[in-house]
Amino acid sequence: MTGTLGIVGFGLSTIGPGIAIGLIFAAYINGVARQPEARSILQPLAFLGFALAEALAILGLVLAFVLK
Amino acid sequence: MSELNNFIDLAAAEAPSPVIPHLAEIIVGLVAFSLLFYVLKLKVVPKFEKAYEERTNAIEGGLARAEKAHLEAQQALAQYTGQLAKAREEAQTLREDARVQGASIIEDLRAKAQEEAVRITATAHASIEAERQQAITSLRAEVGALAVELASKIVGESLDDAARQSRVVERFLDDLEKSK
Amino acid sequence: MRNSLRSSTDEGFVPPDAGDFILPPIFGDSILTTKPVILVFFSVFLVSTLFIASSRKASIIPSKLQFAGETVYGFIRNEIGQDVIGSEFRRFVPFLFTIFTFILTNNLFGIIPFIQFPTMSRIGFPVAITLFVYFTYHFVAIRKHGLLKYLKDMCFMPGIPKFMYLIQAPLEFATYFLIRPLTLAMRLFGNMFAGHLLLILFTLGGEYLLHNDNFILQLFSVFSFAFSIVFTFFEFFVQCLQAYIFTLLSALYIAGALADEH
Repeated sequence: MTGTLGIVGFGLSTIGPGIAIGLIFAAYINGVARQPEARSILQPLAFLGFALAEALAILGLVLAFVLK
Repeated sequence: MSELNNFIDLAAAEAPSPVIPHLAEIIVGLVAFSLLFYVLKLKVVPKFEKAYEERTNAIEGGLARAEKAHLEAQQALAQYTGQLAKAREEAQTLREDARVQGASIIEDLRAKAQEEAVRITATAHASIEAERQQAITSLRAEVGALAVELASKIVGESLDDAARQSRVVERFLDDLEKSK
Repeated sequence: MRNSLRSSTDEGFVPPDAGDFILPPIFGDSILTTKPVILVFFSVFLVSTLFIASSRKASIIPSKLQFAGETVYGFIRNEIGQDVIGSEFRRFVPFLFTIFTFILTNNLFGIIPFIQFPTMSRIGFPVAITLFVYFTYHFVAIRKHGLLKYLKDMCFMPGIPKFMYLIQAPLEFATYFLIRPLTLAMRLFGNMFAGHLLLILFTLGGEYLLHNDNFILQLFSVFSFAFSIVFTFFEFFVQCLQAYIFTLLSALYIAGALADEH
């Protein structure tokens, strides 16, 4: 079995964003469940936060491929 | 070590990192995207927007039409009500007129009848008066003659002197009238 | 292709890797005749034809085709354009509509039989779309606020302690100019790349097991193929979701550029 350590690093780097995205959408679902009319306000916020958190995982992916 | 490097080089040559974009592909992507963008922008979006607008117009136009019809109906109703009221009013005036006219006709007739009655009464009075006068005149003449005759019969003396005779009669009548 | 050749050799199972995304030209030897490039142009042709056909006789009472086209268009126009961008959404609708249909079609190529290659797993194409989004939202913001005010609003968020600007300003700057485009392109690429890899893995694994001499292992190939089918459905979901997220984030970035402050 062969592979690069970079891929392992990528795997590690997804843990944080994974938890973060879970928290973000948990909060979003909570908010919408409590106040369905706030959906249109919460949705952009949730997705901005999601994009920001996922950025870390994506940086990990890039680095895994770029740094050999 | 050099072998390992060689291997990496080989691998790299065989499979360049998937996150390094190929310039040609970026250009292809740009061209394809612009192409699609212009096609959709010029051909598709205006049509859909037009359909949207037409639909909105149709819905709003339908509402406007319904409102107009409603308004028209209301106007017609108002018109009919007005006409009905006018007709009723007209009938009322006609009836009033007729009543007034009838009253005046009755009044006229009554006046005429009264007049006629008055006239007839007057005529009757006049004729009665005339007859009375006539009767008086004739009576006076006859009464004179009768009285003279009676007196002459009683007195036995002829009173044929006309002048005297009439004097006596006059006196008698005057006394008669005074005693009345 | 490389893999299907390799897996039949006697070296044991070789898992698919990034090399499987490099396809040789179908004819000639220019990159313009490789499968991804042809698929991209095919997607342009497909989307154009489909939507022109559905909107050609657009009327108040839609035909079935028009209804289908309008559902997609209305979704982008109202759910993404109007809800996210707000009052000025009208002029961005064609752009968002193009992004969504283009990405969705190219993603779906990944699971359509006989095509089976998500073009967005070649990084060049997501990068190209991201370039459009990147320049659009910067251009919109600079035209609306002016360059200096835009940079100032971007880097110096009101209401935080002064010394925090040391950390916050470079972070915000990097977010707007590096992180956003990078993540936008890489998210789409990564999802398509990984998803396709997953499908190849299960299909090739199943093939490898089937070609094995051991009967029990041949039986297990059924599970591998079944998983490839399950993951095909999962991929369908991911492909639609990624097209949606890409469009939504583009709209969000444009909305942020249009907003007076963030």
